[in-house]
Order: sequence, then C-alpha cells, then structure tokens
Amino acid sequence: MDRRAGGDAVTTLALSAVTVARRGVELLTDVSLTLTAGELVVLVGPNGAGKSTLLRAALGLVRLARGRVTLDDREATSLSPRERAARVAWLPQTSGVSEPLTVADHVAAARFRFGENEVRARQGAARALAQVDATPLASRPLASLSGGERQRVALAAVLAQEAPLLLLDEPANHLDPRQRRETFLLVARLARAGRGILCVTHDIGVLAGLPAEGSTRVVGLRGGRVAFDLALDSPALTGHLGELFELRLSLAEHEGERALVTWWTQPEAGEPPCA
Amino acid sequence: MRVRHPALALVALTATVIAGAPFVGPPLDPDTSAFVLWQLRVPRVLMAALVGATLSVVGAAYQLVFNNPLATPSTVGTSAGAVLGVLVAVVLGQPSTTVNLPWLALAAFAGAVSTTAVVAALAASGRSRMQDVLLAGIAVTLAAGAVATAVESVADVGQRFTVSQWSLGHLPQVGYRGVLVLAPLLALAWGGVFSQARALHALTAGEDVARTQGVDVPRTRAIALGAGAIGVAACIAWCGPIGFVGLIVPHLVRLAGAASPRALLPLSLVAGMGFLIACDVAARVLVPGHEIPVGVVTAALGAPALLALLAAPGARGPR
Repeated sequence: MDRRAGGDAVTTLALSAVTVARRGVELLTDVSLTLTAGELVVLVGPNGAGKSTLLRAALGLVRLARGRVTLDDREATSLSPRERAARVAWLPQTSGVSEPLTVADHVAAARFRFGENEVRARQGAARALAQVDATPLASRPLASLSGGERQRVALAAVLAQEAPLLLLDEPANHLDPRQRRETFLLVARLARAGRGILCVTHDIGVLAGLPAEGSTRVVGLRGGRVAFDLALDSPALTGHLGELFELRLSLAEHEGERALVTWWTQPEAGEPPCA
Repeated sequence: MRVRHPALALVALTATVIAGAPFVGPPLDPDTSAFVLWQLRVPRVLMAALVGATLSVVGAAYQLVFNNPLATPSTVGTSAGAVLGVLVAVVLGQPSTTVNLPWLALAAFAGAVSTTAVVAALAASGRSRMQDVLLAGIAVTLAAGAVATAVESVADVGQRFTVSQWSLGHLPQVGYRGVLVLAPLLALAWGGVFSQARALHALTAGEDVARTQGVDVPRTRAIALGAGAIGVAACIAWCGPIGFVGLIVPHLVRLAGAASPRALLPLSLVAGMGFLIACDVAARVLVPGHEIPVGVVTAALGAPALLALLAAPGARGPR
C-alpha cells in the first residue's frame, strides 16, 4: 500500500493554461499555477472570481475546456482516484454529512485510500484529531458541533487522508475572529511542517498576520484570470490587493506586528488605491 | 459504548425470534408434527430470514449510495419491474389462477433486473449525479407502472386476481427448494454490498469529497446497485414484493444507536431477519384460521414502530 505517497519525491501540482467553461461562459481563463510541498499559497479574490472552481479543476471534479493539470509531471486524469487521493486532499467550502455519525466515524471515513481495518482507521482519525486539538470531540455526534468545532473536524478529516498537498476552501468560514486567527496559524504551521497548501479566502485581513518567512505566496484571481502571483513579503502586494478588491488599503505596523487596514472611503478615480 | 450494546441486543433478539418462531402457532398434532415443523415452519422461517436480511441490507446500502434516507429498492425501479414482469407472464403464458412459482419467478426476476439495469447503467456512467440516478429510478418506476396498467387492461378477472394475490407478498414454503434456489443469489448480493462498505462510508461526506478521498464513485454505485438489485429481484421473484422492510429496518437500526455505516450494514442484515420473521409469525397467528399477507403486517408493524422511535425522547433521528 502506498501509505505515504510523495514521501520521497517532492509532490508538485501544476495547472497550465487551464480554462473551464460552463454553458459557454468561461469560469476560469488560462490559469497557470503551481503548488509544491512546503509552500503556502493563499488564493484571494472577490466573490465569483473562480477560486472554488480553480480548486475543483485541480481536483479533477470539473472538465477542462483547455489546458492541463499535472501531479508530479503525470496527467492528473491518468491517475486512479486512489493515486490522486494519496497526493491531494480537499476541504470543500460547504459540506453536509447524510448519516448521524460521530466525529471519529466521520474522520475515519476520510482514510478510505488506505484500505485498512476499522481499528487502524480509528487510530489514524485520533492522530488527525490530535493535530487540530480536537481529541475531546471524538465521540460527539457530528450534528451537535458548533460552527468552529465543525470546521476543526473538517480540517482533521483532510489531515487524516495524509496527502502532501491540501486544497482548503475557506477553512475559516463562519468562524469568529479568534478562531479564524488560530485556523490560519495552524495552516501556516502545517505548511512549515512540509505540506503544500493552497488556501482560498476572501478574508485579506489574515494575510498581514501570516509569518512572512518561508515560501508563502498570494495569488489574486479576478474574473477567472490570475491578476497577480506575488510573495507574501512583496512590497507591491498591498497595492495589488487594493486594486483587486477595489478598496483603499494600507499596511500598518505597530511594535513589530503588521495589520492590513481597510479604509471605508472609496479610492478616487485615477488615484492609486493604496496609501 | 453507544454502538456495542444495541448491537448485542439486536443480535440476541433476532436469535430468540429465529429459535422461537417455528413453535408459534396452533398446537402440533403428534402424527404430523415432524412434517409441519421441518417441512413447513422451519423452511418458512429460513425464507423470512433470508428475504428480510436482503431487503434490509440493500435498503441500507441504497440509502448510503443515494445519500438519501428515503431511498429503497423500489426507488430504482426494481419492484415496479418485477410486477410488470409477472403481469406480462400471466397475461401471455399462464391463463390460470394458480400461482405457478417458478414461471412467475423467472418473469419477475427478468422484469426487476431489466428495469434496474437501465438505472444502474446511468449510475455507472462517469459524470451523472446521485440526484439524476434517483430521478431516473423514479422515471423508470412510473414508466413500468404505466406499461403494467396497459397490460392489466387486457387481462381478464382471473389473471388480475392472480397478479394481485402475488403482489401482496407471501412466504409460505413446502420444503427447502426456495431456500436453496435463493441462497446463492442472496449471498452474491450480500457479498457485493459488503465489498463496498468502506466506499459507502466515505460517500456519507458527499459524492465529490468521496471522489477526492479515492473512491471510484461510478464503480461503487454500479456494484452496490447491481448486487442489491439481484438480491431484491430474487426475493421479489420468489415471495412477491414485500414493502417497507428496506425502508424501515435501517432507520430502526440507526435510531437504536448504530450510526457508523460499517455497523449499519451488518446490523440491518441481522435486524431485517428478526423483523420479517416476527411479521410473518404475526401474519400466521393474528387471525386464527386465516393468513394475513405479510406485506400488510410489515407496514402495520413497521410504520408505528418507526414513528414511536422518532417521537421517543432522546431519539437521534436520521437527520
């Protein structure tokens, strides 16, 4: 069994000139992007920019009109579902579970690719829950969880799959500010520990809080096209973000900490959108 | 702990029902007791066990495949196809009021398998969604029903009576022929469903998530639907359509606290045995000297039991 695929080689996901269309409307146009183990790529953009579609294209859940998706230089479409699951895991934006399961049952089910017995699956689930500090939730019914607990359990299910690359769609959705901060710090920690993470968010406030060291990038998506692909510590980032969201933004520093400030006044026409 | 004790209780209850069922009924005459016990009652209990187990485990599997708590073997056209097959057989070939089982059984099996095959083929084709498959099942059921009505309109009164008797469901057996004919087909169905247990577990998180977790969704759907259809078609062919078992028993098992699908499938199998045997005993003895069709009893016992469990304080409903 291919327990830790990508353990030797560095796993790389590459989208090359990917176009996705639905009923003649292009949702993504010529999108190229790479993600390698150890990298954190934050994908930002206004609602409807195509962020979730980009993840679904990378996962092979939507048909490509043009372009290709490769995993370690192999066409993603040539991989079996199990081979793909050994490389990439996905946290969808919304999820519903149809059965009255406990947390441990739900997380254990995510280990399908290992083809292991129930005892091992439960051990794997317990490890994943411990990674997100959710061990006490294990025997709770899924339906009884709060929004924050549910999001943490969803993250545990993604980790239980033990794939080197994680595609996270709004992992901090519906969380309060403190839980949001903790979620993104956990995501950054996982990337430092060697996972490659592509994380969708439209919450640009978290960007200033992410640790700038390492290979963290920010990719802006607008109208289905890549607007920019910059390192997190690039000085041009604030300006590009302001343009992307049509907001006046500034980067404030206080006692060594940084914060991205959103101003309520709109940028004047012709004025650079950042201060 | 929540899972283990209800599981043991279910198994113990079913074992008691199996052991006790042959002795329920009018007192046995010493001259004929061996024949009544070993050639009539025991085979009938075995048949009820096999059929109840199959209908329940396939019902549970279909609910998981379709991610829908209302899915049953009849949802994908299996029952409607069987009824149509029997109607056609009666009108074309058997202008008599006696139910000749093997001939009708073959026709019912052919009807059930062919309608389900249409739906299963759609399910196995790459990009179809669960809802599409469910809708296709409903469409096939309606179409088979319409054709059946057309065929019925040319049938005479005797033929209609034959079909309506058959469609009430019946478990009486003389000897072990039925059990021996069904057992291999049902074993195939159980094996097919259980081989997909892990994949069905993963499917509870939704079709797309299951795909990214490594499940070959079209393959799982085709195997679970195909194997389930063979088992259900065999049951209907031999015993007529017995309703409600496939819908109710998995929900009773869930409400009893066995949530994990890995526990749901085997426990539905066991609980289905006990449920149908108990219903059949009731059908035999409720009205002295007369048998009520077992399908009437499954509905009359099953529906209130489900409602009572749903209304019970602390019930963990199927969401």
